[in-house]
Amino acid sequence: MDHATPTPREAAKGNDGGEFQSPALERLVRALGRLPGLGRKSATRIALELVQGGGETAAELAESVTAAREQVRTCSRCGAITEDDPCRICCSDKRDSALLCVVASPVDILPFEKAGFFQGRYFVLGRLLSPLDGVRVDDLPFDRLDARIREHDVRELILALDSSVEGEATALYIQRMIEDLDLSLTRLATGIPVGGALAYTDEATLHRAFQFRRSF
Amino acid sequence: MRLLEASLLDFRNLAEVQLSFSPGVNVLLGDNGHGKTNVLEALNYPALARSFRGARDEELIRFGSEACHLRLAIAEGEKILDIEVGLDRGGRRRMRVDGDEVHRRVELVGRLATVVFDPQTVELVRGGPEMRRRWFDQGISSVDSEYLIHLQAANRALKQKASLLRDVRRGFSSLGTVSRDLETWNAELAAHAAPLVRKRADWLSRAAQAGRDSYMDLSDEKQELQLVYKQGVGSEDPGGTDADFSREILAVLDYITSDEIRRGRCLSGPQTDDVDIILDGVSLRTYGSRGETRTAAISLKLAQAEIVYGMRGVRPVLFFDDIFSELDKDRSRKLQERTAKDHQVFIATARAEDVAGWEPAGASTWTVHEGVVTIR
Ligand SMILES: Nc1ncnc2c1ncn2[C@@H]1O[C@H](COP(=O)(O)OP(=O)(O)OP(=O)(O)O)[C@@H](O)[C@H]1O
Ligand SMILES: [Mg+2]
Ligand SMILES: [Zn+2]
Repeated sequence: MDHATPTPREAAKGNDGGEFQSPALERLVRALGRLPGLGRKSATRIALELVQGGGETAAELAESVTAAREQVRTCSRCGAITEDDPCRICCSDKRDSALLCVVASPVDILPFEKAGFFQGRYFVLGRLLSPLDGVRVDDLPFDRLDARIREHDVRELILALDSSVEGEATALYIQRMIEDLDLSLTRLATGIPVGGALAYTDEATLHRAFQFRRSF
Repeated sequence: MRLLEASLLDFRNLAEVQLSFSPGVNVLLGDNGHGKTNVLEALNYPALARSFRGARDEELIRFGSEACHLRLAIAEGEKILDIEVGLDRGGRRRMRVDGDEVHRRVELVGRLATVVFDPQTVELVRGGPEMRRRWFDQGISSVDSEYLIHLQAANRALKQKASLLRDVRRGFSSLGTVSRDLETWNAELAAHAAPLVRKRADWLSRAAQAGRDSYMDLSDEKQELQLVYKQGVGSEDPGGTDADFSREILAVLDYITSDEIRRGRCLSGPQTDDVDIILDGVSLRTYGSRGETRTAAISLKLAQAEIVYGMRGVRPVLFFDDIFSELDKDRSRKLQERTAKDHQVFIATARAEDVAGWEPAGASTWTVHEGVVTIR
């Protein structure tokens, strides 16, 4: 049998926490390992592929990371990921300013835009209330949301937040915040499974949840 | 409801076990430590989506194995339910119902309805309030699929709130900066506490009725067993919708906030609920004799089984693990005959005399020896 070069997968498999004889490779593994969702095993596999694998992958990756870091920003009005500020959605005159959809993360905008039925604008909170993770009322942009509602004469606020306890609590806070304002508040209907995350909801489910949004 | 078949792989000390059960009485005999409780634990796993002994999933995997697997065929009336569970050492849990994967515990819990009687059962009367909460939480979950969702949500909200209170107490946060957070988390807690408290009140009133009847049946003295629900969050249920009730609860929670801040922890809520168990006007926890305590605890479990029948129209499967050694012969036999009339029962014991002289029709008897189960 030929023992010359194991594939990255094989090499990573044998790795039970020891270190490579290359500090440079170790540095790369550690950097990758700090990314969300990557343990040391996967980080090792990816690092080996980048370093030893053929093709343009590594160069392309290095360049696209640099470019993305330069060009990507968050929209100062809504918090969406964009290259132009304000973003396309905030600038478009086809969008209805009176309809504002509140989401937790910029990723949550994607399923709405993909499905294409929503013609209002968005507001990204960034996170959900969760004291266990150090997230308090003061950490979320509720003041900006309040200003946005008043300045743009929003008539309906749609809360598209996860149906987790954290999503519910955040929704409750917003409900109390706008109690005295004259606008209708709705939440996506229960098409989204309880405890489910919005970003992983399919289009049909999302559309149904939107149509049957209930006042809150 | 009846267990028809089970196949177990690397579950505890059971390397590979395949069983077809009697629809009536199934007796597991074997010396101490040979695996009787392990069999019951496996058969009961789908009912709670966890071990009834409170073991962590990983403990269920046979020493030296990477994973365990169990598959049960369950008859409910005409329907046959096929449940599969796989657990591995990485903490992954695979659950399938009729071949379709389900991802959350709540989707499995309660499909198989069971009631377990084991030596721990007396703790229901003698132990701390958490024993009684576990009893009604399991009992209600098995008849009401929404219950567990509210329970998990309320517990999560409590954890969130507790972390705020802790931070204030340690001086990491000032009161001013967290008061809006506390109000919000109280509101979230109240939203789930209202349905929880209502479901508990309803279930416990059914349990009181059925428990009283069972106690009368089992004991010769005609004493009256009584249950009184002690609601931890002291607010009256005004009737009306859950939202109305949750506003009442919220008012109480907001009222005690300053106390909670001073003490640095959650003082009131559904997590402090309890039940007083009373025999002829006297608290059993404090004054009960051993026999009274045991009979009352068994009566409460029987009540749980009766409610499943009342609300779902199915008779749960009953597991008796080693409890007859604690009862005198008459009472044991009464309990065996009474339950075997309507339920499929599993009896695990090291003492053959527990079932000696009792030969119900169609019973199966098994021997459990070093993790191997053979029919007699
Ligand atoms: N994960 C595991 N892998 C292998 N063996 C295990 C595992 N967990 C427990 N055991 C073994 O299972 C045995 C206990 O089995 P069990 O509790 O079912 O006994 P039992 O027959 O009910 O005994 P008793 O009559 O004393 O209640 C012990 O010998 C224990 O070491
Ligand atoms: Mg045992
Ligand atoms: Zn924007």
